[in-house]
Amino acid sequence: MKAAVLREANKPLEIEEVQVSKPGPREVLVRPVAAGVCHSDLHFLDGSYPYPMPTILGHESAGIVEQVGRDVTYVKKGDHVITCLSAFCGHCNKCLTGHLSLCASPEVSRAASEQSRLSIQGETVHQFLNLSSFAELMLIHEHALVKVREDMPMDRAALIGCSTTTGVGAVFHTAAVEPGSKVAVIGCGGVGLAAINGAAIAGAGQIIAVDMVDSKLELAKAVGATHTINASSGNAVGEVIEMTQGGCDYTFEAIGLKATAEQAFQMLCSGGTATVIGMIPVGTMVELHGVDFLAEKKIQGSNMGSNRFRVDMPRFVDFYLAGKLHLDEMISKHIKLADINLALEALKTGQEARHVIMFDQ
Amino acid sequence: MALVTIESEITGNVWKIEAAAGTATEEEDVILILESMKMEIPVESPEKGIIKEILVSEGDQIQEGQDLAILDTGD
Ligand SMILES: [Zn+2]
Ligand SMILES: [Zn+2]
Repeated sequence: MKAAVLREANKPLEIEEVQVSKPGPREVLVRPVAAGVCHSDLHFLDGSYPYPMPTILGHESAGIVEQVGRDVTYVKKGDHVITCLSAFCGHCNKCLTGHLSLCASPEVSRAASEQSRLSIQGETVHQFLNLSSFAELMLIHEHALVKVREDMPMDRAALIGCSTTTGVGAVFHTAAVEPGSKVAVIGCGGVGLAAINGAAIAGAGQIIAVDMVDSKLELAKAVGATHTINASSGNAVGEVIEMTQGGCDYTFEAIGLKATAEQAFQMLCSGGTATVIGMIPVGTMVELHGVDFLAEKKIQGSNMGSNRFRVDMPRFVDFYLAGKLHLDEMISKHIKLADINLALEALKTGQEARHVIMFDQ
Repeated sequence: MALVTIESEITGNVWKIEAAAGTATEEEDVILILESMKMEIPVESPEKGIIKEILVSEGDQIQEGQDLAILDTGD
């Protein structure tokens, strides 16, 4: 099969012929139909999150089951599925206490001593986040996918695989936003827009979108923002405090920068909670004003929206089909796998919504 | 002889050890691969040298700041 291979940080991906191993007892071979190009792929491309190479990026996809391993009963050939990087073992302390997205069990990937799932003429290709979706086939653990309704369009379904789950999940699960509350979201990329949409579904009273790009602020309004702030003016914190008459109950950072994580904390009212969704580069420290803890301000991380994706994703599909979850607006372009580098470049400029790869079927 | 201790930047577990004691490394050569929050994270040699000791084994759970390996940089 063909795949977009990353061999060195900051170099273009190369389309190469890659060999896929046979499904192990609990593995599923999926033929992706659509794969989103997500902002977090960039963190690995530019090396701010180191990853062993060669690897195949991509972690947001929907497809059709091609083949299942001996012990797989959950899906069969032909089922429509969304993949998720939050593969869970189902029996560790995190899984058993309902925190499936924090499962760290190594059993969902192959051990270093086993044949790797992906290879190029005998050379190991490191599977990215147990998925690697910029490829014509994906060999994944059965706990890294969920079955979905077949009337769900695949390109929209792909987005649910990461950005929707990350943004909406941060609002529903990590922060548990209360109806009527005041919310600010910093960063209106795919994840930030999903958080705004999630806050609207959760019934937030005031939803302030903060970004530096006007077109993204327009999108934010289309998915549920009640107010917008163009942060180029340089005083987003002051404007949020003024708009909310004292700060937000919940803020969400969806960029991954020290400065905006700190701003998310500064935008809170007393008792408020800041949730950092963005991936802050390894080694970066975040500074908070200690006295703010006396006002019971809180800050927390959110990884993949604290999801229980086998429960969440079919609900998100229903939300989309009911017109509550806005995914059509999130896709700016459909591309071919061969155009992946252009999509990654476009993402870097921050001007556009998402590009989605459509695979030839 | 200058010894450099290589620490982990994250909490996770050791997925694969790529270089044994005695291996000569160049700067940025991968010494071992950690696994944390579904990510594989390579730990690279900070400079040219010889691995004096690997302090962890495959499958070990490790904490942020924990010593992973000792590199002899010779000078
Ligand atoms: Zn993503
Ligand atoms: Zn588990």
